[in-house]
Amino acid sequence: MTETVGPAVGHIAFEDVEVVYKTGLKALKGVTLSIPKGQFVVVVGLSGAGKSTLIRTVNNLVTPSSGRVVVEGVDITHARGQALRAARSDIGMIFQTFNLVKRSSVIRNVLSGRLGDLPAWRGVLSAFPKADQAYAHDCLARVGIPEKAYVRADALSGGQQQRVGIARALAQRPSVMLADEPVASLDPPTSHAVMSDLKRIAREDGITTIVNLHFIDMARDYADRIIGMRDGVVVFDGTPQEATDAAFEEIYGRPIDDKDLRGA
Amino acid sequence: MPDQAAALPRATGRVKSFVTLALVAALFVVAFGQTKFNLGALFTGASDFFRFFGRLTPDLTALPQIWPPLLQTIQIAYVATIIGAVIAIPLVFLASANTAVDPVSMWLARTLLTVLRSIPDLLWAALFVAVLGLGALPGVVALTLFSIGVLAKLGSETVESIDPGPLEALKAVGAGRNRTIVFAVVPQIAATMVSYMLYVFEINVRASVVIGFVGAGGIGVLLQTYMNFFDYPGLGALILVIFIVVLAIDGLSVWARSRLI
Amino acid sequence: MSAARPIPNVIPPAPAHVRRNRAMLIAGIAVLVALFILAIATMSLPTWSRVASGLQRNALPLLRGLVRPETKVLELAWNSMVVTFFMAILGTALGALLAFPLSFIAAGNLLGGTRWALPGKSLLVAVRTFPEIVLAVIFVAAAGPGPTAGIMAMGIHSIGYLGKVFSDVIEGIDQGPMEAIRAAGGNQLHTFLFAVVPQVLPEFASNVLYRFEINLRSAAVLGMVGAGGIGLPLIQRLQFRRWAEVSMFLIVIVAFIVVVDALSSRIRRRLV
Ligand SMILES: Nc1ncnc2c1ncn2[C@@H]1O[C@H](COP(=O)(O)OP(=O)(O)OP(=O)(O)O)[C@@H](O)[C@H]1O
Ligand SMILES: [Mg+2]
Repeated sequence: MTETVGPAVGHIAFEDVEVVYKTGLKALKGVTLSIPKGQFVVVVGLSGAGKSTLIRTVNNLVTPSSGRVVVEGVDITHARGQALRAARSDIGMIFQTFNLVKRSSVIRNVLSGRLGDLPAWRGVLSAFPKADQAYAHDCLARVGIPEKAYVRADALSGGQQQRVGIARALAQRPSVMLADEPVASLDPPTSHAVMSDLKRIAREDGITTIVNLHFIDMARDYADRIIGMRDGVVVFDGTPQEATDAAFEEIYGRPIDDKDLRGA
Repeated sequence: MPDQAAALPRATGRVKSFVTLALVAALFVVAFGQTKFNLGALFTGASDFFRFFGRLTPDLTALPQIWPPLLQTIQIAYVATIIGAVIAIPLVFLASANTAVDPVSMWLARTLLTVLRSIPDLLWAALFVAVLGLGALPGVVALTLFSIGVLAKLGSETVESIDPGPLEALKAVGAGRNRTIVFAVVPQIAATMVSYMLYVFEINVRASVVIGFVGAGGIGVLLQTYMNFFDYPGLGALILVIFIVVLAIDGLSVWARSRLI
Repeated sequence: MSAARPIPNVIPPAPAHVRRNRAMLIAGIAVLVALFILAIATMSLPTWSRVASGLQRNALPLLRGLVRPETKVLELAWNSMVVTFFMAILGTALGALLAFPLSFIAAGNLLGGTRWALPGKSLLVAVRTFPEIVLAVIFVAAAGPGPTAGIMAMGIHSIGYLGKVFSDVIEGIDQGPMEAIRAAGGNQLHTFLFAVVPQVLPEFASNVLYRFEINLRSAAVLGMVGAGGIGLPLIQRLQFRRWAEVSMFLIVIVAFIVVVDALSSRIRRRLV
């Protein structure tokens, strides 16, 4: 189950990544991974295992204290200023709490995904090129809510809000998509609908995707590859078929039960 | 044992409030000494006060004389509020921890705002009358500076309490600071800021009524003239008009603010 | 990334209400700007050349004075600021004393019922609207120049604000403790002392402190009309444009107010 540490290659490469928070807590203890282009990776592990930390090093919302993350040949860990922003604009992110601007319209939220690629003046004046506006509407159509474009974001249901979150990330035309527990605030049927949308879009556009999930069954349903974390260390790395109940009990360090399943 | 444990905090509590009381009493003794406050004046003052009001039968023929300075008073307040808001906006973002450029400029902005707010409006007015001469201009400048201090302080408190989620989302998108402010911060604070602008306009109307006392334009000039010449009927009309205008603007502003939020 | 997807080029038109709101926002801003221009144009501002000559005469000496405060007047400025401080204390205390009974009348949920609430509230609004500096002028005429006039003006004016917030606090109190004391056989006075006062006191105190911060600023300027405190020596120096001395006074005022504000807001945070 231990990965052979070789030269890190692939679309996203974690090279011996360590994260120590200001509190002194070591959240990642040397993670080395290579994720090929287009792969749909699900990260599982108990609360506090370091899943969010891992995902956040990919777009440098958390900066590793040693080691580095290379995304499509760019060392994002050491990128700063304009270079960092350019690298981030290629990486979409979806949040558990959606992180929409609630008082703005849906389409404005989606358009904000274009900001990283625009000249600053266009962004500040909200002067989006026609093509960008059309693209944003298309993103909304792809997540299935084209008719909600001019509704205020806080008037949507949770599932619809998360779809707006996906559309915003999609509007970036990303080659990498990160999702930190994207369905944790949603009910089971909605969870499945949102995950299917995410997976379908990632397939269609060939987007390399890393998703944190709590639920074993969902991880098995959607992943190309499952990575198990415990205490800041990768303890499992394999296909959904290899991720047996026994493997999960090893990752979680306890017997699994119904609470670990989302159900259908 | 349990008795003692319960008694202890009560005893210290009592000592504490006793010390506080003694300190406050001492403060007042010193205050009376320092200000030579004349308690008797309370009663003579009160009777003078009521006598003053008794004489204020408004002379409505003074109205034509009142309109031009009244209009100027409102103009001063309005212009100062608008300019103050325009200057306050960038300061709001500089002074808020979650939108600041760097710690140094944040500290500078905060210090500037603290100084702006600690100088009373009438003092600003007197200061600029000395520099710019009599008239409405020093009034506008004084109230503008005062508005900046109040608005930017209230604004940056609002900015610091916004939902940080969208900020993080736009950071992940790779948007720069200004774009992030426009898309993630402004929508969250716009309604509150407009409400604060109305509130500052209310304050400015009240202030611009009196800055004429130091020569900074508006109706205060006339107010002072009437008082100096003991023109009670004119004064009565003037005070009546000020009352109506201030209350009307307050009422309008409160109504508009209640609709905003 | 997908070459297969056709690049979209249609933008669905915004619905009518969105376009209307956008138009109204633009119109609103246009009205504000038009009013602004109109106000500036009709306000009888001095000509640029007059402003320029005023600045020429005063700006440089002012700046020079501001960076080199005159330490000889430090003692005078400090002493006047101390008197100002105590004026604010007495003015606030007077206001609180007067506002206390009035606020119970204006609240209308405890004493006297609602019959007196409206006149009480109107009186408070009237007091608040009456400019403080006019009160100061009246009291200077009546009691002669000096701190007493300023204290009286602040005291009266503060009734408006304090009475308003006091009565809001009273209207928001929890009736439970009052009923408990009445049920235990307590009379009106008992109810008041043991159920009302403990509930309202922290909030009252906090608002009194806040008003004190405001009054300290007022007290610093009331002297300009002769009502005591630092305003008088300051405005004399302003009239004679002794900028270095003005500078010293400003430093004392700002420093004093900043420190008192910080202390006062710390106490307020601990109160509520
Ligand atoms: N900003 C931070 N400062 C200090 N410690 C942090 C911070 N963020 C996370 N941690 C700590 O780092 C460890 C890993 O946290 P992380 O959020 O990555 O876990 P997680 O696997 O995502 O957990 P969950 O499933 O609860 O989201 C935890 O012990 C957490 O308390
Ligand atoms: Mg997490």
